[in-house]
Amino acid sequence: MKFWMQRVAMAILLLLSVSALTFGAMNVLGDPLFNILGPLAGDVNNPKSAALIEEVKAKYDLDKPLPVRYVKWLGDFATGDMGVQFSTDGQPPVSGLIKERIPRTITLLIMAQLLAVMISIPWAAITAARAGKRSDKISTMNSFFLLAMPNFALAILLKYIFSLKLGWFPLTYKAIDPYFERLRQIFLAAVTIALPAAAVYQRLLRTDLITTLQQDFILMARAKGLSRSRVIFRHAIRPSMFSFITVVGLNTGGLIGGSIVVETVFRIPGIGSSLVESVLREDFPVVLAIVILIALAFVIINVLVDILYSIIDPRVRR
Amino acid sequence: MSEETIIVSDSPDAEINAAIQKKIGWGFWLAISWVILITLLAILAPYLHLKDPRGYFIDIDGNGRPPYGPSFEHWFGTDKDARDIFARTLHGARISLIVGFSAISFGFLVGGTLGIIAGYFRGWLDKIISFTFIVLLSFPSLVLAIMLTALLNRSLFTISMILGILSIAPVGRLARASTLQFSDREFVLAARQIGASDSRIILRELLPNVVIPMSALALLGMAVAIVAEGGLAFLGLSVSQGITWGSLIQIGSDSATTLENAPWIAFFPILLLFLTVLSLNFAGDRLRSHLDVKESSL
Repeated sequence: MKFWMQRVAMAILLLLSVSALTFGAMNVLGDPLFNILGPLAGDVNNPKSAALIEEVKAKYDLDKPLPVRYVKWLGDFATGDMGVQFSTDGQPPVSGLIKERIPRTITLLIMAQLLAVMISIPWAAITAARAGKRSDKISTMNSFFLLAMPNFALAILLKYIFSLKLGWFPLTYKAIDPYFERLRQIFLAAVTIALPAAAVYQRLLRTDLITTLQQDFILMARAKGLSRSRVIFRHAIRPSMFSFITVVGLNTGGLIGGSIVVETVFRIPGIGSSLVESVLREDFPVVLAIVILIALAFVIINVLVDILYSIIDPRVRR
Repeated sequence: MSEETIIVSDSPDAEINAAIQKKIGWGFWLAISWVILITLLAILAPYLHLKDPRGYFIDIDGNGRPPYGPSFEHWFGTDKDARDIFARTLHGARISLIVGFSAISFGFLVGGTLGIIAGYFRGWLDKIISFTFIVLLSFPSLVLAIMLTALLNRSLFTISMILGILSIAPVGRLARASTLQFSDREFVLAARQIGASDSRIILRELLPNVVIPMSALALLGMAVAIVAEGGLAFLGLSVSQGITWGSLIQIGSDSATTLENAPWIAFFPILLLFLTVLSLNFAGDRLRSHLDVKESSL
């Protein structure tokens, strides 16, 4: 119990620091007044724009000290009020935009994660069974190539081959299409995220499988006359899954970062591409909301994995 | 037992040199050669009599409308404004490599210092520094980079610093872990018994031992920084107006028709970026397995 309380307290402290840091950076390094008013913000001598500046300052609480604004913003954020978009005169509000876009990113990430796991388990099993042989070496080389390919480059290659040349997948995402059609439209994006992740998972699971395969109970199973594949899939996989599960969990957060670039290449209107658009438009509340949401998801996933891990393996709870 | 033998067996240099000479393999040297070659080409790009990377080579009579495919005149072809891809790719290497190198240097300087301080002095200082690392690691790195580029100007210096900030936490954590591991070893205790000051112990005893296993991280970290810069440039958020691999790839892939009809515009920069990242990763990985640093601590 004490262990979990500590973890949760740490997570809350982290979330507060992360949000304070982001909020502070946005307000100190950036200039929210300029973002709202544009060049008018510097025009303090003109009484008309000076009045406008005062009005905006009062409306968005820009005249209050930073900690006060942070607390107020945090309260609003926690109740789902993320402010208004500057670039579209406030309609729809930021929370509306995010509500519309977040399901697409989550679908993409779940699909990518499922693909990565589905690819990596058989891949690891095959290479572990043939550790040190030629096919294993070729696979190691392949995963090296995959990991050296930046995700935007991989996205472009896949788009070129499978959308443009072979025509297997549509080029554009249409929000009005039926659900399964949209799944097909994000499939290539999911593959782009999944392939490097699968390479990471495979390397890890392969190493653990090789260790397991050297143990006595495997020899016993083989001696009973079980086939090789049965030994691997029935006996060896389960005790080798420990660090695999942890890394798959922790990596979910890492995939969010990858989705930013991939959504942009495949023109999927999710939160990642929305972050890039709002940065280019200097739309400060949208950037702030998305960065915080991503950091929140990241921290929460890490804590959940931590707790899950302590349930699977009680030794870490000490 | 003479004192000589203890010193010899404790000296990491001799062991490491022996390990490297024994079996680092030709792959390592091939990878390093590529990195050196591309660095030289990038440094010498303005003096190599390449075509002007910002020039337009429209040739209406001979080839019709640009983009032109790879030819003897334009080795890597041209983009749709008839700019020479070969010259642009080599010039693009300049920003990508400068950013990669300065980012990881900054990360080592700041992160390494913080990590060693945290590992050596421990106590509340360690708690604060470690917590800072955890906070930095709570953002997916690209998200943090995008946020900072949105707020700051996009000069070469700022982009390098931003990517440098991202490498502080991973470098710092490894430096802290190795410092913790070494600071209880006999040679450190002996130095302390003799009355050596903290700064002397850190600089003369700990630093050499901590830096060597981290040299692999320098290569891997440079690869990460180059990819991150490419990603930012691809999104239009890296050095403004700069020619970099990321921005070249973006130009070649921003519309489906360009990518379909003139794939060389994006593919040649992708190839160079890929080879460079592959080489750095491979060299770093070989070096790491030879210095025997645990994978999990990277």
